[in-house]
Amino acid sequence: MVAPGMAARAAHRVLDLDLVRAHTLRNGMRVRLMPERSAPTVSFYTFFQVGSRNEQLGTTGISHLFEHMMFNGAEKYGPKEFDRVLEARGGHSNAYTSNDVTAYYEDFTGEALETVVDLESDRMRALRLTQETLDQEREVVKEERRLRTENSVFGLMEEQLEALVFQAHPYRWPVIGWMEDIERITREDCERFFRTYYAPSNAAVYAVGDLDPDATFDLVERHYASIPPGPVPAPVPQGEPPQRGERRAAIRYPSQAPAVLCGWRGPAARSPDSAALDVLQVCLAVGEASRLRRRLVQQDELAVSVSISWGWRIDPGVFLAFAELAPGARTDLAEAALYQEIAKVAARAVAVTEVKRAQALLRSSVLHELATHHGVAHALGQAEALLGDWREAGRSLEHYASVTPRDVRRVAAEYLDPSRRCVVVLEPEGAR
Amino acid sequence: MSSPIPLPTLVRERFPSGLTALVAERRGVPLAAVRVVLRGGASLDPRGRAGLAHLVALVARRGTRRRTGPRIDEAVESIGAELGSGVDEDASYFGLSAPAEALDRCLDVLAEIVAEPAFPPAELRRLQRREAASLAHDLDEPALVADRAMLSAAYGRHPYAHPPEGRVRDLRAIRRPDVTGFHARHYRPDQVIAIVVGAVRAEVALARLRRRFGRWRAAPSKVAALPPTEPVRRAVVVVDKPDVTQSQVRIASPGFPRKSPDYFPGVVASAVLGGGFTSRLMEAIRVNRGLSYGVRSRFAPSGAGGLFLVSSFTKTETTAELVQVALDEIARFREEGPTAEELERMQAYLCGLYPLSLETHEQLAEKLTDLELYGIPEEEIVEFRDRIRAVTREECREVAQRYFPGDRGVVVAVGPARTIARSLEKFGKVTVVPARRVL
Repeated sequence: MVAPGMAARAAHRVLDLDLVRAHTLRNGMRVRLMPERSAPTVSFYTFFQVGSRNEQLGTTGISHLFEHMMFNGAEKYGPKEFDRVLEARGGHSNAYTSNDVTAYYEDFTGEALETVVDLESDRMRALRLTQETLDQEREVVKEERRLRTENSVFGLMEEQLEALVFQAHPYRWPVIGWMEDIERITREDCERFFRTYYAPSNAAVYAVGDLDPDATFDLVERHYASIPPGPVPAPVPQGEPPQRGERRAAIRYPSQAPAVLCGWRGPAARSPDSAALDVLQVCLAVGEASRLRRRLVQQDELAVSVSISWGWRIDPGVFLAFAELAPGARTDLAEAALYQEIAKVAARAVAVTEVKRAQALLRSSVLHELATHHGVAHALGQAEALLGDWREAGRSLEHYASVTPRDVRRVAAEYLDPSRRCVVVLEPEGAR
Repeated sequence: MSSPIPLPTLVRERFPSGLTALVAERRGVPLAAVRVVLRGGASLDPRGRAGLAHLVALVARRGTRRRTGPRIDEAVESIGAELGSGVDEDASYFGLSAPAEALDRCLDVLAEIVAEPAFPPAELRRLQRREAASLAHDLDEPALVADRAMLSAAYGRHPYAHPPEGRVRDLRAIRRPDVTGFHARHYRPDQVIAIVVGAVRAEVALARLRRRFGRWRAAPSKVAALPPTEPVRRAVVVVDKPDVTQSQVRIASPGFPRKSPDYFPGVVASAVLGGGFTSRLMEAIRVNRGLSYGVRSRFAPSGAGGLFLVSSFTKTETTAELVQVALDEIARFREEGPTAEELERMQAYLCGLYPLSLETHEQLAEKLTDLELYGIPEEEIVEFRDRIRAVTREECREVAQRYFPGDRGVVVAVGPARTIARSLEKFGKVTVVPARRVL
């Protein structure tokens, strides 16, 4: 038996937060540096506190389109130079945009650190936005949307579901934006967006790996301190009305088999219930011994796969359940089985052994995440962006260890209430 | 000069049964990655039984002489591990990553699954149904359809030509004696590599491997070597998906086996053409023309052969344009090879990324088992960067001439045939295949 707290101490050995050197520059940019020399690599992350939640109808998708623009040239390093210079120094870069944040990273061997800081600070200081590159990236993003949404069964369903779960909050539109909005975004929109959301006052950098924290701090300060701060971003509308009954949508699509996607509005990431919902997620759908896999996939053979995604977000996010059904399986039966299993947890809780299994799996998953410099840098940034404190990156195991079967029952009953359910059903039609 | 790659000492032991045990102790994360790899995968599937090796690997974990499937799930998952099993064309894999202190229990389960599976009939039938149903879902993913179609177009009648997950008709035709027979024929200790990488003392890990796997005895396996892969003629295959708005495109030609001396020049040449964000294909297709979100070229080397392949996607209207641009870039590269600047940049890039591919216990375990599987000395890991740096422009050009598609090679496009088929005729004789046929 693993005593509570033991897992947390073990995790502490993996992520020693005392090593993190944290500063805020005069322009408001936050800097977090962590030396860790088990591998000769460094991961450098830049988090901007902006995502689709900061957008408006008409220009949805601008956060993501803008992420693409960041690779198209600045004052010192012109078009096409960012990746060329980085790759020539043995580095690799990419970025992602979510509902809440936009994050950029470079992974490289320690010698390239100065080049990376030079490249990143150059584009924060003086990005060049031209009509030509905007038009090109627009086409690339449209292809990305065709790939991930329009020609993807799950993409189509997820987009519908978020639009059901949220009526007022900006989470109701997809991160990639509506196709017509992607068409409509102008260079001036991008300029305005850059001045507000890409100012150092709205950013934080995280460097983890084979580095000297003092020298690295001097380097970062030298490159970033003179970039002026920006205005305070507008607050995000929070007036989501309460849901007073199930909401449903159907998608007719020439797919080979049906599918069901359900969602419930959960709490904000900061809520203490977030960790209990993670445990519930594992009890329900992670591993072969999870309840939904056993019931829908193994016992009833209604589904080919079933998964749950509880994504932590700054504002209350979505607890999603997705089942890919066997060809010809009845969606009503799959829904009934799914709801029955959730109702059982809400009424009678889960066994202590199930919670322990979930805690063990979550512990492994946290250890895996923190096994690389990239993972640690991302975890620090994610914790600060969503929870307001990078130190939370080292605390998740404590939170998981304190979850009891009663907590699991309570959050299942509170958040997965049938009257606050949203359901999207995929109905195959004319498949060839 | 870059810092040396810190590699743990590798301990290797050949058991009397012929099983190869590998152990590497690593500090850091208190986990251990365990892999049991069997030489022999989907290329051993008998004719009319495509998917048999895959099914054997899946059903093996659904019950042994001592434990039922659910008991195996509980034993593994209660310690925080998830057990994976599957096959590729050359091997069958079982693996998990677990807290180091639970290594013994994990090895118990893995040894049972590999050496003494019970293949419960009900579980076999259930997984046959589930795998066939999963393939139906794969048909809704244009990228997976393209990959499947490309394998059969590029490998012709070679045992590599069918996807490891099998075909629906064959999966349904499999009977339990096929499964037990495959296991009896191929799951022999002399074909097995067992590895532990992680926070466990090497001598302890080795002793545990000896205890769990040492008593497994069976006569050596008799498997005929695979024939080499054969050249292909230019062919254009359109897999008809009438309702998609984006085509998935693959261009493929025969490559080389993993052990080939062309491996390092091949890695560099394919990266200059289509690796990373600054490659020629990325520049021509994404940056300059906005035709796609992504494009990539690479060699996929296997035991008896391999492929060179380009993969991308674009809105259906620009399918032929994308193929044309890709073929033009390939032709130019065959002619000129890389520039000195491109070569140097890509060498730095590949060398810089390499340590990142060895950071976790799983990554190192995977790398070591792959080398063992293909009979390559593990020195390749420490020498990797020097060998990449030693590649010349001329070698890149030669490897491109030998393997990149010129007038050979297949073009596969998944999309609405009525929109795209005619426009692809300029690349060769077009065969239109309904998507269901790819299953």
